[in-house]
Amino acid sequence: MKETTIQNIHQAILEKTNQGRTVAVATIVATKGSVPRKIGAKMLVDPGYDIVGTIGGGCGEGEVIAAAHEVIASGTPQVVHVDLTEDILSLSPAVCGGTMEVFVEAVFRS
Amino acid sequence: MIEQNELPLSATTAAEKIVAAKKEGEAIALVLITHGPSTVLGQRIAIKKLKHGGLVKIGRFQENDLNNQAMELAKEALESPSPQGDRFRDLTVKSGQKYKLFVEAHHPPSELIIVGAGHIAQPLSSITAMLGFNVTVIDDREEFVTKKRFPKADRLMKVDFMRPFKDITIDQNSCIVLVTRGHKYDFECLRFLLRSQVEPSYIGMIGSRRRIRAAFIQLVNDQLDPERIARIRAPLGLDIGSETPTEIAISVAAELVLLSRKGDGMPLSQKENIFNRFFKKG
Repeated sequence: MKETTIQNIHQAILEKTNQGRTVAVATIVATKGSVPRKIGAKMLVDPGYDIVGTIGGGCGEGEVIAAAHEVIASGTPQVVHVDLTEDILSLSPAVCGGTMEVFVEAVFRS
Repeated sequence: MIEQNELPLSATTAAEKIVAAKKEGEAIALVLITHGPSTVLGQRIAIKKLKHGGLVKIGRFQENDLNNQAMELAKEALESPSPQGDRFRDLTVKSGQKYKLFVEAHHPPSELIIVGAGHIAQPLSSITAMLGFNVTVIDDREEFVTKKRFPKADRLMKVDFMRPFKDITIDQNSCIVLVTRGHKYDFECLRFLLRSQVEPSYIGMIGSRRRIRAAFIQLVNDQLDPERIARIRAPLGLDIGSETPTEIAISVAAELVLLSRKGDGMPLSQKENIFNRFFKKG
């Protein structure tokens, strides 16, 4: 049941790639400690258009969006290690207390 | 087990399979290589669970060991309704190459049947549709079950409250909310559900303590299973002090989420009690 459901993201993958664009899909594949979203959460990055879904908002999303652009340019998938443990008292938006691994890949209609 | 395709699936084909499985009401798992040689990184296959229970593998990894492990991983993920545990597997194949496989399971959306198309049903149908339920709204008044009143509902039906679920399949994953305009109709629908062999995962009924007590007495007198009566969520929803229809809808939606995610309904601030725990030690 649940959230900008994962099914909606798959629907969005089809719509966007059918329009001929290359998008990046990020999936949380491992977590440790306190992170905002659980394993399996997905985000689709469609540069110049929009972002569908979330892997945790401020907590590490910026890093993953940067990786998404690299992956679209290179075509090679990446596993991004997001560390949200630094200086827990800094009150920076990117501090949640845990770490996660995010698999980022480019998707296009072949 | 049947096999289709001899190659891994493209991401777009996989997305198509997932969208199609959702339409068919079937569960499907994707298995993805997240660590391994760069030539196979990101390759994926899908394993679909058919309605009668069989598994179909769609796509194939080159390495045979990976196919077997993927099958096991997918089977586990598809069988547990809310997979919490092992979502990946580390393995080393005969050549010594190390891999990590990641599985994501897609279960078909839960069916929610809202009985009674009144004030509570309107916000409830929108909120639960946002949560990903497949929402059906039924009422015996045709002019109430309209797309205009329920833009987010998947299905609208006019029914007879004496046989409300005649054209609806109810299974053990269904959720049913009884909020008709009259307690009499709620009760008839409730009794109908308790007489059926299948017990849905959620039955919630609105009502005051007195009315619910009277309904339970009647159900006991009708020789219905007391254990099943005890599992009815009546009054329905969480106690968040709701008064307006929208507030009640939120409280019911919150109860549905709580049951599927196994929460306890307590304010997190109270549960964690961080200030008192860490700053007020004597």
